Amino acid sequence: MNRFVSMRIAGFAALALGFAVLPFAGLSDYWIYTVTIGFYYALLAASWSLLVGYVGRISFAQAAMSGLGGYASALGVIHLGLPVGLGLLAGVAIAGLVGFALGWLTLRLHGAYLGLTTIAFGEILRITVTAEHGITEGSLGLRVPALISGGSRFDYYYLFLVVTAACLVIMGLLLRSRVGLFFQSIREDEDGSASLGVNVTLWKCVAFAVSSAFAGLAGGLYAHFVQLITPSMMSLQEMGIVLAMAVIGGFHNILYAALGGMLLQVLLEMLREVEQWRLVVFGLVTILMLRFAPNGIFGTLIDAVASRRKRHD
Amino acid sequence: MSLLAISEQAINGLIISSFYALTALGLAVIFGVLRIVNFAHGELYMLGGYAYYLAISALGLPPLFALLVAAVALFAVGAAIEWLLIRPIHTGRIDRPEEYAIMITFALSIFLLNLANSVFGPWPQRPEPLMRGRVEIGELIISGDRLAAAGAAIILMTGVILALRYTWAGKAVRAVSQDRTAAEIYGISVQRAGLIAFGVGAALAGLAGALIGPVFNVTPPMGVVPVIKAYIIVVLGGLGSVPGAIIGAVILGQVESFATILIPDPSRALAYKDAYGLLVLVAVLLLRPQGLFGRAERRA
Repeated sequence: MNRFVSMRIAGFAALALGFAVLPFAGLSDYWIYTVTIGFYYALLAASWSLLVGYVGRISFAQAAMSGLGGYASALGVIHLGLPVGLGLLAGVAIAGLVGFALGWLTLRLHGAYLGLTTIAFGEILRITVTAEHGITEGSLGLRVPALISGGSRFDYYYLFLVVTAACLVIMGLLLRSRVGLFFQSIREDEDGSASLGVNVTLWKCVAFAVSSAFAGLAGGLYAHFVQLITPSMMSLQEMGIVLAMAVIGGFHNILYAALGGMLLQVLLEMLREVEQWRLVVFGLVTILMLRFAPNGIFGTLIDAVASRRKRHD
Repeated sequence: MSLLAISEQAINGLIISSFYALTALGLAVIFGVLRIVNFAHGELYMLGGYAYYLAISALGLPPLFALLVAAVALFAVGAAIEWLLIRPIHTGRIDRPEEYAIMITFALSIFLLNLANSVFGPWPQRPEPLMRGRVEIGELIISGDRLAAAGAAIILMTGVILALRYTWAGKAVRAVSQDRTAAEIYGISVQRAGLIAFGVGAALAGLAGALIGPVFNVTPPMGVVPVIKAYIIVVLGGLGSVPGAIIGAVILGQVESFATILIPDPSRALAYKDAYGLLVLVAVLLLRPQGLFGRAERRA
């Protein structure tokens, strides 16, 4: 194992440890709640960056997939009487299958065409959830059973922390395996990698499925934590926030995207007094990042530190 | 269904189509020259509505001049966006241009939507229409503001199509959309054509927003739904195709107008109204991605 990898593992462990001791640093209940929601966004932004940053396939259906996972899990628990854990698994499986189908349907599409199709797909999901109010309560919102009955803020915090960290590790291992190399070869040159024997069709579908499954898990956890979900969690505005999080953090790296999700969620709460202006600023920062620092805050910072260290060596 | 009801729905469909077409035409012109889908188009539409509203309420201009103000203001906004954010794509200064174009215009739409929310507030505004009262044709009754707005939209579209065909700038824009390299070899400034195309596209979106403002109110999220219709239309007609944009708009207007009254349960029919077009979009992209009038493109 080379030095760079061990440094990254150490960095990740330090981060996880930092978040583990955070509740003992005198955080109020309100902030523990906020950071817990931050884990949801971190997982969602990371799942999006897995698809966009590594495979180069753009999707605007990620928020819809999260909602799909949330609604599938909630409805499974409410109508079929599943235990919450099984409901979550069902949500992950459904989001993954739908993601696979979306990937398969859009195999031939690129760039803007893919963006438009995924927008349409996400909007159809959102409209269906809104329209079928007999089952989903529509825009009134669906009451969802709790994940941990009688669980405290601490219980949820640590559950979200563990799940998010575990998912990031799984994604990281996947991306470091052969499959990760297939993903990146598709991003760099699809025809080229096909000519070298990569099953481009299969891995494009798998990428969509994996990314959607993680989004579905995030949505399911969120639904059973906040216990009230509405179709607005599937809207394009919500997708815009996820995009801003991933871009500001750095969407070419799942960990940076996740940190972006946490950072923006915390900032959104801290800047509550300025209301809509915070979203204006985030929109502007996202544009500037894309234009001048496409690696995001964390990517740019770490690159700068690394290049300085190299000069010192 | 009686003949009267049918013609009423058909006319409603045509009026809606004319606004759809104006918005979609802007997208088509931008795509034709710059090869990008402007995901912030709905917010340019919204800004047009506000420009029109402010020109009337703050400057006290008559509606016709307010339309002109909206067009000029949005041309300037569009040209600035092209110059600042889109031009780097074609000068090779961006690593992954395709990805960048999609994400930057999407981010721009978040920015503009929330900016309007902060500056103008979430309250709906209702500017003065071009015309009041209503028009009766036999037993058919059509409200005057809608008819005037649809008429203005049709005149504007005719003007743009003629300008594209006969003026020098219009010919340059068409030449660049047909073959970028060849146009450049023949001495056309592709950068200027891109600037004009984005400006005109933005102005068309703004004009559509200005015309529809008095009918459906001006609000920050007013562009979110119409722009999705415009995406459906340009994909249906073929991205970058001008006749495709207009025919696509007519088809979508009629489909939506009739689909709503053919389904018995009214609340559900209304809720699903926006989904039909999206299904059309997905179906076209999967079966015939070049649309009805587009050119098939092979991505190397």
